[in-house]
Amino acid sequence: MTPTRRRAWPGLLILLSLLLAGCASDAELDTLQPRGESARDIDDLLDFVMIVAGVVLVLVVGVILWMGWRNRVSDYDDDDFPAQTHGNNALEILWTVVPAAIMAAVAVLTVIAHIALNETEANAIEVEVDGSATSWEPKVVVVGQQWWWEYRYYFDDDVTPEMLGDPKNLPPADIVTSGQMAIPAGQEIELLVTSRDVIHSYWIPALNGKRDARPGFFSPWKLAADEPGVFFGQCTEFCGVSHSRMRMQVVAMTDDDFQEWIDTQMTPAATPTDEAAVRGMEAFVANCASCHLIDGVNDDTYTGATTQSGSAPDLTHFASRTTFAGGILNTYNEDGSLNRDDLAAWIRDPAAVKDNVADGLGDGVAPRGMPNLGLSERTISDLISYLETLGPKPSAEIIAATEVE
Amino acid sequence: MAIIEQPLAIETSEAQLAERPLGSLTRPQGGNGWRDWLSSVDHKRIGIMYGVAAMFFFLVGGAEALLIRTQLAFPEQGFLSAQIYNEIYTMHGLTMVFLFVMPLAAAFANYLIPLQIGARDVAFPRLNALSFWVWLSGAVFINSSWLLGGGGADCGWFCYSPNSGVTFSPTHGVDFYAVGLLIIGTASIVSSLNLIVTVLNMRAPGMSLFRMPVLTWMLLVTQFLLAFALPVIVVALFLLLFDRVFDSQFFDPDAGADPLLWQHLFWIFGHPEVYIIILPSFGIISEIIPTFSRKPIFGYSFMVFSGIAIGFMGWGVWAHHMFVSGIGPISVAAFSLSTMFIAVPTGVKILNWLATMWGGKIKFTTAMLFSVGTVAMFTIGGLSGVTHALAPADTQQTDTYYIVAHFHYVIFGGGVLGLMGGAYFWWPKIFGHMLNERRGKIHFWLMIIGMNLTFGPMHVLGLQGMSRRIDTYSAGFGFDLWNLVATIGAYTIGLGVCYFLYNAWVSKREAKHLPAPGPDPWDARSLEWMVPSPTPEHNFDVIPTVESQDEWWYRKYGYDDNHKVVRIATVEEAAQKGDADDVHLPSPSFWPLVIAVGMPLIGYGVIFNLWLCVIGGILVAGSIYAWVLEPVDDPDAGHGHDDHHDDDGGDDPAMVGAGATDEGEGS
Repeated sequence: MTPTRRRAWPGLLILLSLLLAGCASDAELDTLQPRGESARDIDDLLDFVMIVAGVVLVLVVGVILWMGWRNRVSDYDDDDFPAQTHGNNALEILWTVVPAAIMAAVAVLTVIAHIALNETEANAIEVEVDGSATSWEPKVVVVGQQWWWEYRYYFDDDVTPEMLGDPKNLPPADIVTSGQMAIPAGQEIELLVTSRDVIHSYWIPALNGKRDARPGFFSPWKLAADEPGVFFGQCTEFCGVSHSRMRMQVVAMTDDDFQEWIDTQMTPAATPTDEAAVRGMEAFVANCASCHLIDGVNDDTYTGATTQSGSAPDLTHFASRTTFAGGILNTYNEDGSLNRDDLAAWIRDPAAVKDNVADGLGDGVAPRGMPNLGLSERTISDLISYLETLGPKPSAEIIAATEVE
Repeated sequence: MAIIEQPLAIETSEAQLAERPLGSLTRPQGGNGWRDWLSSVDHKRIGIMYGVAAMFFFLVGGAEALLIRTQLAFPEQGFLSAQIYNEIYTMHGLTMVFLFVMPLAAAFANYLIPLQIGARDVAFPRLNALSFWVWLSGAVFINSSWLLGGGGADCGWFCYSPNSGVTFSPTHGVDFYAVGLLIIGTASIVSSLNLIVTVLNMRAPGMSLFRMPVLTWMLLVTQFLLAFALPVIVVALFLLLFDRVFDSQFFDPDAGADPLLWQHLFWIFGHPEVYIIILPSFGIISEIIPTFSRKPIFGYSFMVFSGIAIGFMGWGVWAHHMFVSGIGPISVAAFSLSTMFIAVPTGVKILNWLATMWGGKIKFTTAMLFSVGTVAMFTIGGLSGVTHALAPADTQQTDTYYIVAHFHYVIFGGGVLGLMGGAYFWWPKIFGHMLNERRGKIHFWLMIIGMNLTFGPMHVLGLQGMSRRIDTYSAGFGFDLWNLVATIGAYTIGLGVCYFLYNAWVSKREAKHLPAPGPDPWDARSLEWMVPSPTPEHNFDVIPTVESQDEWWYRKYGYDDNHKVVRIATVEEAAQKGDADDVHLPSPSFWPLVIAVGMPLIGYGVIFNLWLCVIGGILVAGSIYAWVLEPVDDPDAGHGHDDHHDDDGGDDPAMVGAGATDEGEGS
């Protein structure tokens, strides 16, 4: 045997311990740092099984190493035979039954966790909607499309898939937003996850596992955050060319902040006064209104976008969100000023910032993603000035906490 | 009529010569030129061709892997565009599964099954050639999409609808995926039926099912899985192709379809596919570990039955790929439990390998190192598999790099390492010279260190939330370090693979100066080691009569009164000489190759111009007629070494052997 062998096995063990140490690093998508009940249930289950699996692994590799060290010979002689054991039925039954028993124990824990994950509690909260107190069972309709997420809040009804119908033609919601889902902290939020084109997957690792967004169907899911905070996510079902750039966040708020968020989101956009912003609004109507909606501007004519999914982000409160372009760019700079550079780059040529299939298409082919509209620099600047008025601007803490790389 | 188990004497030839159905159709004669490889129906040549082609595609898939890892070495790299990246990772998966691991396993199956059961060839030699050529044409076809299809398929190897539809994948890549896999699937179905019949009907006298080597057993289970799993994907691929080419709307949600239909169909095939990939490797190491522990396999019948159990249970776990897809909670719970319990027969296998080594005399040849590495690496892959059998945990893990880590430990660790071990083990049998052991061990360490560096960190990346199939990632998620490590590991594997090819090349050159390895260089246990190396064309001079499991070992060794092992015969005494000159072998045929040329033409026709289908169809249908009409054999050729038909008035049936049933092969 070459001496390499003896050195390399400890090497592997060192590597293994390094791997485990690597898990502890601070990562925004880490599944091992749960911040909500469901994610914690999953983590607890996994921790237990990881320990069992670790013991099995150490035993198996240990036996291999021990035998490799103990029973090794360099060559065979004719009469040098070990005992020719053909088997042992008692042992076989033992090591069929023992793993089966371990798996049965794991199965019980799994089923318990699985049931907990699929149960929803009745936890209606009081929110004020349009000045009147409403009892709301927290539920958000999550709609994926290439390559961004839309969230729809219906306060009047306990929404059901039957009521929602076709994901491509959903009934008007009280609040429509995108990229960042606002939720009250400490509450279980039910989700109905669907898609308007291909399959996507909604995943906020710190709060819960993922659920696929399946076109034509509404899959129930839930999440909850223990404390106010910002939690990152990433689409996890391959969904086309910008799959890697389809990101999202959940912003968990105190009840008061959440109520304030509802109030602002339910207000139509204010008419701008600044000259550039006024020109921007006109440019919006001329160039953007066939896809995007701004409540108070084109809501009377808007019938959906001309994109493949039939949708585009609702911009009514664009500047109240701190990310845009499917959660990959910051709306605000670190100092709190509007991120004009990235906004301009995005409007100028979206495909240069984030891959899409929106430009140079043949007749009758609907764009997927935002097309390059060929706008002049001045129009772009005006549009940005207008977008800035579509607030309110979030707090400095939120801007800092939601910053993406 | 391969169901005739006992050999038939060939009704001799003069009469047949006169009655040739169509005088223009003659069968080619055997020989050693390159053209003879094209018409060969010899299971050994077909096995070698499978192996060589698989290694070629291993290099292709490996190059794709290195492109992926280069792109992901650092955050926010633009080395590959997102579109190209998506095509490359899709083709990497397809290439490694369908064009590397499966055909490499098929190489071993083709070469070894007849030898291990004491037969002269497979049941249907021409169908065997057909399987290979059709597989190769499908493999070339699917890769031709880089040039002809506007790029590779860009939908991932499981190609979920509706992302696979024309709307979302407008190039021809997915068409090539569908047609290419249909062609490859045809080849695999034909091959599996052929090998099933071979194992069930062509065994040597006394070779009862429970005397078969574990490898033959595992390959038999694999063939059954192929025979039942591939039709499912064939159906799904037809639906996909019809959707794309004829707008049939099986999977279009806008027309009311449920995209989960595709997922179910794919994974009903796709999960047994996992066992199709690893069971051959399990069989291989079940041959190697006893040989280099100097003990019989521990718990033979438990090894066999656990393999069969995996084969059966493998059908009841497919929806664990779909825990987050939106199927109901009861379905999720049921598939979660069934998946956990498939760990039991798998664990039995691992423990039996350990028990085989326990108390043995372990000789760490390269083949043994690879086998032990397979056990250890597969254990890691199996245990991570248990962690995502837990449906709640899987909601965090699925579609992350944790899954990527898992299936590479299973497929690379459990599958490829074992196949590599098999290459070192049977190399002398196949090529007549050894692979250099010292270089082999360096190869092993490069591979195992490389794979742990590559796939080990992916566990961490996945648990840290790195999604699968992303063409790049942002700094700040904590992904940077481990991605770089994984990339270094991938290049280490690449180095290992190159080193293996170097070893193969140099070992062949050195072999001229080294003594020949002889029939049984490893002191092994099964029948293939009783024939000379390389295996003579007719395999066995005399079909052996089998009296025990590990027949070859018992021809060398016995027990004395104290139940101590004693040698009763040397290898030279016990082995066959390979000098029989009157063995009747199946005649070569070109028609399998011609059919294989016609099939991709039909494929191109479906995609580009239906008239091409007519040409391809005529080629295929015409070849089938020619196949039927060509004489069953050319009595003047292909009869082993030095066949003088004129003076063999009556073949001795025992000498003809089971391989001679080609007479009714096409029927």
